[in-house]
Amino acid sequence: MNKKKSIRRTSDGPEVPITPMLDMAFQLLTFFVLTYHPAPVEGQFSMSLLPPQPATNLDATPPPDAAPSNELPATLRTVTTTLRADDTGGLGRITLGDVDMRDLDELAEKAKEVLENPELPFDQALIQVDPKLRYEGLLQVVDVLSKYTTKIAFTILDEVVPGANL
Amino acid sequence: MAGTFSEELKAEPNLTPLLDVVFQLITFFMLVINFSQDTYDARIKLPVAPSAKPVDSAQAAEDRLVLNINPNGTLLLNGREFGPDEAAREMQLQADLVKLNFRNKPDFDPNNLPTTLVIRADRNTPFEPLHKLIVACQTNGFRKFSLKAMTRGN
Repeated sequence: MNKKKSIRRTSDGPEVPITPMLDMAFQLLTFFVLTYHPAPVEGQFSMSLLPPQPATNLDATPPPDAAPSNELPATLRTVTTTLRADDTGGLGRITLGDVDMRDLDELAEKAKEVLENPELPFDQALIQVDPKLRYEGLLQVVDVLSKYTTKIAFTILDEVVPGANL
Repeated sequence: MAGTFSEELKAEPNLTPLLDVVFQLITFFMLVINFSQDTYDARIKLPVAPSAKPVDSAQAAEDRLVLNINPNGTLLLNGREFGPDEAAREMQLQADLVKLNFRNKPDFDPNNLPTTLVIRADRNTPFEPLHKLIVACQTNGFRKFSLKAMTRGN
C-alpha cells in the first residue's frame, strides 16, 4: 500500500528533465576549462626615458640670462654601469664606474654603497649595454639597481654618449 | 503486476546536486576567464626579475601600448610583424594616432606623450634591436616605458 502511494506521488508532480540541462552544462564547462589560461605573474619596471641630450660642459660659460642653480648636472649625479656580453650573449662582465664586479651580488653591494650614501651626489644610474647582450642579462642588472634608484636609463655600449638620457 | 515490479526497480539517480556543482564551476570559470588578453603573446618568454612590481589599477587605467619583441628583435604588434625599419615607421604612426586622440587635452605635450609603452621582449632578444626600437619611440615623443618581466620563474 505504501509502495503504491509513493509511486502515485512521484507521478503526480511535473517532471523536469534534468539530463539535457546537465549535458549542456557539461559542454559549457568543457568549453571554459579548455579556454581558461591563467594569466602569468608578470611585473614591470616603470621608467621615464628621455632621448639622449648633450651633457653640460663643466668649463662652459653659462648664458648671461641663466638663473643661478646649485643643482649638479645630471652627469655628475649618474653612476655608470657597463655590461659586456659573453660569447653566448649572456652577462659577461659588469663594470660599475671603472671597477669590475665579480657578480651581481657585488654589484648590489657597491650600488647600495654609492646610491644610498647621502654624502655622495649619485641618485641615478646609466647602464651602457653591449649590443649583443640578451635582454635577460640587462634585466638582471635593472633588477639589482632598481632597489636603490628609480632613475635608470640605458644606452648602447661604444655609442658616443654625450649625456645621460634620464 | 510484472510491469509494476519493473517500474519499482528503476534506478533514478538524483542529478540535481551534480547540476548545482556544474553550474558553480561554470560560474567560476566565467568569472575568471579573460578574453581581453589580445596583447599578451604566449610566444614571448619573459626574463625573470623578482623586483618587478605588479601592475596596479592606476597604471592599468592609463593609455598603454604593448610592444611584443621576439628573439630576432622583430616587433609584434596588432597581429603583424615589423622589422627594425618598419618598426620605426609603425611607431611614428602610433605616435601620430596618440597625438590625434589626445590633442584636445589641456596638458597635452607632443614631446611627452601620455601613452605608456609596455615592452614585452623575449629573454633572448639582443639589446641592439631593442635599443633601436626604444630610440624610435623616444624620437616620436614617447617617454613612459614599462619593461615587463616575470616576478618568478615557471
